[in-house]
Amino acid sequence: MPVIISGVGYILRETVKGLLRNRWMCLTSTGVVAVTLLMLGIFMLLSLNVNHITDVVKEQVEIVAFIDDQADHHTVAALRQKLADNPAVREVRYVSSEEHMERLSRQLGNVLEGYDTELDNPLLASFEVRAVVPENVSALAAEIERYSGVSEVFYGQGYVENLFSVIRVLQLLGLILMMGLSATAVFLIAHTIGLMVMMRKKEIAIMKYVGATNWFIRWPFLLEGLLMGLVGAIIPLVVLYFLYQHALDWVTASNVAFISMLPLREVIFEVGQYLLPLGIGLGILGSSFSISRFLKV
Amino acid sequence: MIEIYHLYHQYGNDQMVLRDINLTIDRGEFVFIVGASGAGKSTFLKLFLREFKPSQGTIKIFGRDLARLKNGEVPYLRRNIGMVFQDFRLIEGRTVYDNVAFAMMVIGTPQREIRKRVPQVLTLVGLEDKVRAKVCDLSGGEQQRVGLARALANRPALIVADEPTGNLDPGTTLDLMNLLRSINLRGTTVLVATHNREIVDLFKKRVIYLEDGRLIGDEQKGFYARDH
Repeated sequence: MPVIISGVGYILRETVKGLLRNRWMCLTSTGVVAVTLLMLGIFMLLSLNVNHITDVVKEQVEIVAFIDDQADHHTVAALRQKLADNPAVREVRYVSSEEHMERLSRQLGNVLEGYDTELDNPLLASFEVRAVVPENVSALAAEIERYSGVSEVFYGQGYVENLFSVIRVLQLLGLILMMGLSATAVFLIAHTIGLMVMMRKKEIAIMKYVGATNWFIRWPFLLEGLLMGLVGAIIPLVVLYFLYQHALDWVTASNVAFISMLPLREVIFEVGQYLLPLGIGLGILGSSFSISRFLKV
Repeated sequence: MIEIYHLYHQYGNDQMVLRDINLTIDRGEFVFIVGASGAGKSTFLKLFLREFKPSQGTIKIFGRDLARLKNGEVPYLRRNIGMVFQDFRLIEGRTVYDNVAFAMMVIGTPQREIRKRVPQVLTLVGLEDKVRAKVCDLSGGEQQRVGLARALANRPALIVADEPTGNLDPGTTLDLMNLLRSINLRGTTVLVATHNREIVDLFKKRVIYLEDGRLIGDEQKGFYARDH
C-alpha cells in the first residue's frame, strides 16, 4: 500500500508541477478548448430548444378533415370509426359547425356583431386528427382525403414540410460542427501536451533508464490533458448558464408567445452531461496521441 | 550473471556493429571494455539495458534472455542495473537529493525509505554535504558522483558505466574510479567502457577488447594495449 500511495503522490505532484511549469501554454490550450466547447454548447442549447419547440409544434400539427355538408349521421359515424381504426392516427376529435362558429366569433370579436350565427352558419363540421408520427402528416392527409364523407382536408401544407426540413438541416449542421470542433480541440491539446513532453524528453529518458514503467511516465501527462479538458468544459458551462439566464429573461420580458424555452437548470444539466465527458475525453485523447510517440528510449 | 553467446547486432541495413561476441561475466567482477571509437562499446552496453533487441544471438542477464523479454518486463530488468553516463544525464534545475530520490520515486519506493537511503548513498559517494545543492552548481566530478549515486540508489546488482570519466580531469577521474572499485568490493558487478589508458593499466582488472565489433581479447588483469 505505501508503494502505491508513493506512486500516486508522485504522479499527482508531477501533474500539478507540469501544469504550473507550462502554465501559459496550458492556459492557452485550455482557453481555446473552452471557446470550442462554448460554441458547441451554444449550438447544443439552440438545438435543445429548437427540438423542444419542434416537439410542441408537432403536438399541434393536426389534420382538419371537413365533413361533407350532405353526409348523414351514419356516414359521419362510419367516418369517425374509420379514422379511429387507422393505425397512423393518434387522436380524433369531432368539432361541430357550431363550435367552429364559436371559435370564429372569439377570433373575430366585434366583426360578427349583429350576425345571427345560429341561424346562418356556413361552416362545416370537421374531424381534427393528430398523427402518431407527425412527420407523416402529409401522407395521412392524402389518405383521409379519399375517405367517404370527407369534403376537404387541411394540415398546414408546405409549412410542416419546411419545418421538418429545417430541423433535419440543423441536426446535420450540428453533427458536422461538433465533429469539426472536437477535432480542433483534440489537435490543440495534443499539440500542447506534445510540447510539454518534448520539454521533458530528457527527464522521460532518465525515468526509462532507471526502470519506470510506461504507465508511470504516461499518467502525469494524461492527467494534465484531462484537467485541461475538464477546465475547458467547466468554463463554458458557467458562461452558458449566465447567457441562457439572460436569454430567458429577455424572452419573458418580450412576451414572445410562440417561443417556449426549456427551464435553465434542466438545459444546463443536459448540456453539462455532454460537455464535461466530452472535454475530459478530448483532453485524454489529445494527451494519448502525443505521449505515445515519446516512450521509446 | 551475464552470459553472451554468438551475439550480433546491426542498425537497420547498415554494417554489422557487433559480430559473434561470446563471453560470460560472473557476479562481483570488475570489467573494463576497451576499444577505439566505433568499436561497438556503447552498442554493447546498450544491449544490457535492452534499449533494443540483438539482431542475433543470446544475451542473458540474471538468467533472463533479453531477446525474449516482453516490453512490459524491461523496466523491471533496468531496476537491477545502475547506469552511469559520460554526460551525467542529471535533471537540471533540481537538487542533488531530488536527482537521486527520483530514481527511487519512479519505481514506487516509499518516501520514508527514500529519506533514509538517499543520504546513505550520497555519503557513499562523498556528497553528504551537497544534499540541497542544485546540480547545475556542481563541478563535473561532483555531477558524475551524483550520477553514480543515482545508479546506486536502487541497490542494483550490476553497474554499467559508459565512459564515466570522459568529461573529467585526471584527478577527478581517479576519485570516481576508486569509488567504483569500492562499490565493486561490496559485491556489485561493475562494467566500465573507457578510453582511459592510465586507469585501465592502473587498476589491472579484467579487460575485454573490442575492435570493429569483434571481441579480440579477454584478459584478467589486463592492460589497455593488448601488446603491452
